[in-house]
Amino acid sequence: MKTRYILFSLLFLLCAISYGQVKKGDVLIKNGTVITITGGTLENTDVLVRDGKITRIGKGLRTPRGVEEVDATGLFVMPGIIDAHSHIAGSAINEGTSQVTSEVSMEDVVNPLDVSIYRALAGGVTSIHLMHGSANVIGGQNETMKLRYGTTNPDDLRFEGAPRTIKFALGENPTRGGRSRGIQPQSRMGVENMIRNSFTEALAYQKKWKAYEADKSARKVKPEYDLRMQTLVDILEGDIIVHCHSYRADEIYMLLKVFADFKIPTLCFQHANEAYKVAPELAEFGATASVFADWWAYKLEVYYSTAYNAAILTENGVLTSINSDSGELIRHLFHEAAKTQKYGDLTDDEALALITLNPAKQLGIDKRVGSIEVGKDGDIAIFKGHPLSIYAIPQMTFVDGTKYFDISEDKADQRIYINPESSIEDVILFEEHDTHQCMDGASMATFGSFLFNNHFNNHKH
Amino acid sequence: MSQSDPTGESAVTQTFAITNATIVPAPGQEMKESTIVIKNGLIQAVGSNASVPADAQVIDGTGMYIYAAFIDGMSNTGAKRPKSMERPRNLFTPDPPNDFAGITPENSVTSQLDIGSSSIAGMRKVGFAVSHTVPYGRMLPGSGSLLLLTDAEHMDEMILSKDVSLFAQWLGAPGAYPNNILGMMAKWRNLYRNAENHKEHADMYEENPSGLPRPTSDRVSRAFFPVITKDKPVMFDVDGMLDVRRAMRLQKDLGFTLMVAGVVQSFELIDELKATGTPIFLSLDLPDEPKASKDDDKSDEVKALEERRMEFYKKHVAQAATLQQNGIRFGFSTKGARGSKIKGNLMTMIENGLSENDALAALTTSPAAMLGISEITGTLEAGKMANLMVTTAPYFTKGSQIKMMFVDGDKYEYEVKKKKSKKGDKEESTEDAKTKTETTTLSAAGKILVGSWTYSFTTPGGEQTGKMVIKEDEDGLNGILTSDDGSPDNDMNDITFRDGNLSFNFTVDAGGQSVEIIVEGSVEGSAYTAEATVEAFNFSFELIATKDDTPKN
Repeated sequence: MKTRYILFSLLFLLCAISYGQVKKGDVLIKNGTVITITGGTLENTDVLVRDGKITRIGKGLRTPRGVEEVDATGLFVMPGIIDAHSHIAGSAINEGTSQVTSEVSMEDVVNPLDVSIYRALAGGVTSIHLMHGSANVIGGQNETMKLRYGTTNPDDLRFEGAPRTIKFALGENPTRGGRSRGIQPQSRMGVENMIRNSFTEALAYQKKWKAYEADKSARKVKPEYDLRMQTLVDILEGDIIVHCHSYRADEIYMLLKVFADFKIPTLCFQHANEAYKVAPELAEFGATASVFADWWAYKLEVYYSTAYNAAILTENGVLTSINSDSGELIRHLFHEAAKTQKYGDLTDDEALALITLNPAKQLGIDKRVGSIEVGKDGDIAIFKGHPLSIYAIPQMTFVDGTKYFDISEDKADQRIYINPESSIEDVILFEEHDTHQCMDGASMATFGSFLFNNHFNNHKH
Repeated sequence: MSQSDPTGESAVTQTFAITNATIVPAPGQEMKESTIVIKNGLIQAVGSNASVPADAQVIDGTGMYIYAAFIDGMSNTGAKRPKSMERPRNLFTPDPPNDFAGITPENSVTSQLDIGSSSIAGMRKVGFAVSHTVPYGRMLPGSGSLLLLTDAEHMDEMILSKDVSLFAQWLGAPGAYPNNILGMMAKWRNLYRNAENHKEHADMYEENPSGLPRPTSDRVSRAFFPVITKDKPVMFDVDGMLDVRRAMRLQKDLGFTLMVAGVVQSFELIDELKATGTPIFLSLDLPDEPKASKDDDKSDEVKALEERRMEFYKKHVAQAATLQQNGIRFGFSTKGARGSKIKGNLMTMIENGLSENDALAALTTSPAAMLGISEITGTLEAGKMANLMVTTAPYFTKGSQIKMMFVDGDKYEYEVKKKKSKKGDKEESTEDAKTKTETTTLSAAGKILVGSWTYSFTTPGGEQTGKMVIKEDEDGLNGILTSDDGSPDNDMNDITFRDGNLSFNFTVDAGGQSVEIIVEGSVEGSAYTAEATVEAFNFSFELIATKDDTPKN
């Protein structure tokens, strides 16, 4: 009896440590048009979330005692939007001082105070993939997050149990760094070579440690520990999903060959503006793509683009998602998904899967989120107007059954922390003459943010 | 009030007795009309009937208050910033030279000590006898030591305890790896894991070297050995809440003993501090009180924004009170705080809810306990070090002044200035008037620099103009940079002037991250031409300033 009690309190303690902070809610969303993504669209249907999980979907569900009811009559209920490429909520984006920095991880730099998190929630987004930048060939590990805004603890935003992912980058960004410093890589050939060399080195590292582990002697000495190499070994062993920044078809195809040579089975191409040219090859490999709806021409390698990219990839059987890579686009990813119906005639479910189930699969979290199904997390967005309509307006956003956004309770100032020494500037939404003065009045504060933006954030896409 | 010891400096005896004073031996205790006897650097007796030794210099303590002198949890007091290292040629390697990357945990602050540093007398003057002084540098500059703030002939006399902590901060290498928090977190893990492995190897070799490869004597790894065995804590200089959390995250992953200092935002960390018991030293620097716009027709939106900013200002100044209410022990750190502002900042904290007893504990008993020196200092008890602060009134009152400091039994006296009260203070003496004149006399540097300068600089972001207002007071030169576009003022820190060269630094907020800008240049007449360097981004620009005409006096 006594031991059982101790065991129980121990278990309780463990749970308290791992999940103590994360709120799990109960809610019954009644009488909405439920777009499940995987099981059709259900009219006048209720969705019940208990303790953070969807427990029932059906008509006329009885409200359990103590559960809040939300009347969704005339509204659309869909799974929370997932952004597979984001740089909001990070204190730093690039450790771009070296061409291979696989050891660094965005999980160390999550910034829960970023008000962009709230803005994303206001666009129906419930999960993001906080990515390292693309300044170097093998960048840092990314962090998959749930947007539980309102906490100051970064741990509360982690998508517990999500697989590890890492950023690679091809093309102009890493070669620009190489050329300006006179080091490898200065060309796309150099990029490929660098990736191959890194994996080869990692194999040698893996071999050293395997030999150490196989050594039966009691008096053995550990090889040098190298977190950079160890992370590459983890990729080779299939423990980390690679998300690779890329644009051109030739380099996309190149990386497929590299991964085939090193027998790495999973690979997601980010941006991939020319992926449509190698869609069958991607499908055959089983590689996936996370693209923009219609954003291009911001550098030479991104001119050869088409708004049909997502549709062509989808039609060819390539698992595709649409991402934001931006604190602004993230607020209307549903518009971005809708563009694939103008450019490509995707069905509603196909279009919405681009911002829900498909990114969930690319991040390895589709057992938890991405559709409205019993057993999945209560990550739900409610819209007035069909989410693929240009008139769609997000109304409420739930993560784990807890409401984090409600348009009817939208405060003007949603910041969690304010620097008492910050300055207050008059808020001007838009004036024509402002457009020509973007560099004017660089104050101490804006001077700082100018540097910040230019030196930390310029390698985002 | 009678003058004590008119002969001043004579050290004919190292035995002192201060009689008839109000003694506060520890926070919350008070002994009226009592005597404290100091002999050979130690407190010999404290009490109302302590006997005065025959060889003692007797100081009439009537009307005076005696406290244990303060202990600084973290500062650079007594240390000199080393010359910045020349940039190595090829920095774009995954592992640049350790010296440039800022990975020098094998160093000790004692190699940076300068017994002539004005900071020693400067911090002593405001009540401190002991400082946990940490080295200058980047992410892992070396070990910190406990120093006695005495006028020493040789630096060894100052060292109370050498290398008591491994000092760490989130300061990346400019333009090289590890450049920011991403790289620094990973580097920390890598260094630590390797040090653990190296230690295992070294221990095995020491036990029996036969047949084992010789362990390399890696000085970085070896610096971590006492940290791994928990014989030495890691002192992290971490101001913001996220910086503290990142240090705590490393601690959780790696298992070392952590202390945090310079903290400004601990009101967000109550649960974590309670759960981990991490020793914490709060910054003695406080934000300036935000000024509301005087614009009569400011919008409701601006008013609301000002209110919220004020709400957070209040959280900052009530930080210490919040910890106190939650039963969390804390000390203070003076790093980044100006000596002349410390008392005022403490009073602000008290106005915002901190009790006087807890404030005193945070300056004496708590840091003594956290730094492991409770047995020798932190209270006034027979047998402890003679580290005393003598004030003219209860310390936590507006007009109180420090009259004397004893550090390690050495006496330091200060002129007591009498403030003119509105009713006209009869006590004002001619000597005090003279003191006042002295403080208004400018130093040679002050004569050249004090005044208002108009500055401008241009970055790719545009031109910035404003005023550079330099003043001089008893602490030396200080100044602020104002901005013509209404941005908040920036303090000019570490102003130094030598051979016509003026240098200082200031910090700007870059999207939530503070960025230090170092300005160095020459003054010719009323023109200042300087180079401003943003080390964090490896970026420089020119800053020029012209002294404004001032009426001749």
